[in-house]
Amino acid sequence: MSKGKLWVESILLQTPLRVGLGGLFIFAAYNKLNGIQSFAYAIKGFQVVDADRYGHLIIMAAHMMPWAEMIAGVLLILGLWTRAAAAAVWLMLAGFIAALIHVIMDDLISADCSCFGDMNLICDATVGWCQVVRNLVLLIPASYLVWRQGGFLALDRVYRDKSMDDAPEWTVDNGGEQG
Amino acid sequence: MRMKTPQRLLAIVGGAFLLGTGHSLVSGNVTLKEAATKSGVEGVKGDPNRGIPADNIPEDSPEEVDTPDEQPSAVIEDDQPESSPPTQPTAAFTGNGVDLDAPVPEGTLTLRESHILWEEGAYFIDARHDYEYEAGHIQYSAWLPAQLFDTDSEAAFAVMDSIPKDGTIVLYCVGGECDASKNTAAMLEQFGYTDLRIMGAGYEDWVNAGFPTATGADEGVSP
Repeated sequence: MSKGKLWVESILLQTPLRVGLGGLFIFAAYNKLNGIQSFAYAIKGFQVVDADRYGHLIIMAAHMMPWAEMIAGVLLILGLWTRAAAAAVWLMLAGFIAALIHVIMDDLISADCSCFGDMNLICDATVGWCQVVRNLVLLIPASYLVWRQGGFLALDRVYRDKSMDDAPEWTVDNGGEQG
Repeated sequence: MRMKTPQRLLAIVGGAFLLGTGHSLVSGNVTLKEAATKSGVEGVKGDPNRGIPADNIPEDSPEEVDTPDEQPSAVIEDDQPESSPPTQPTAAFTGNGVDLDAPVPEGTLTLRESHILWEEGAYFIDARHDYEYEAGHIQYSAWLPAQLFDTDSEAAFAVMDSIPKDGTIVLYCVGGECDASKNTAAMLEQFGYTDLRIMGAGYEDWVNAGFPTATGADEGVSP
């Protein structure tokens, strides 16, 4: 692929997807951090683990998850450690999907998604297939960024000389040809 | 030093762990504890102005009742407001054929017990989402989901100000295994409320039974 096409891909795909996905995760994290108690209750409501025995894990997850989203979101927007950040987002989305399906499949559980704290994006707050589809859609850009990374406008590009370990060969200045 | 993607991934997780731990140390008051709730209707301080005497509710009756049209304050009040539900004939509260004694989770109130408490003037709290409350709620119930303490503590305190600490409070959500009412009960318990009861039946059951409801957004939150 020529360098020109890579620039076009970077401007039209990688950068908007990075910023969009990163911004969404920062937004989600911010809302959760503003209501940690509600988020803890939401996690408990999913009934993935026994709240009586593993309540401390739920509380720990309620504090950790928003910060993981925040860090991944910031890294994605900056284009720093893009593949790792996108992989973190991918894993979180996969985990959310599994938890959502667990709730949907169990008729006795009625839980709130709390995906964006107390705000709703596209779907209602109550867990349903809408949230599963939404997260599946978000997996697409996350997968793309894991595959193609941040592009020319990412900080990874700036620091490529120091962190070329897992970068694809075409990001090396090799005359614009992908290796 | 060169880091590969798995190492960077671990670094992100580690960073989240450190920040989350720090956050928990700073905030430190997150709990999953549920309130110790009572069941049954004994010992309730009744409100004689609220509808018919509880013990007049019949076990079975074929007659039905229309839900009152009034849209009263969202806050339960001891004083009988002008838009209070009309006192119904005893035979009217039949549950519209709904089983008022349908099994509910242990320690929670049946529909019949809940309605008795409603008639006796207990404070009802709706712990569902705002749009669900606006679409319809038990008449005289206040909207107080647990997350309101995070998002709009002023509104939450306004609701609490209208309820005495020793008042009988019945909390409800959609029924079944919904945790919303338990979560609100846990918050209220932290604020010193002692007589908290969970309605095991959900709002839809209340509606299907033909018991009084109201619609509208959060009207009359102030005491």
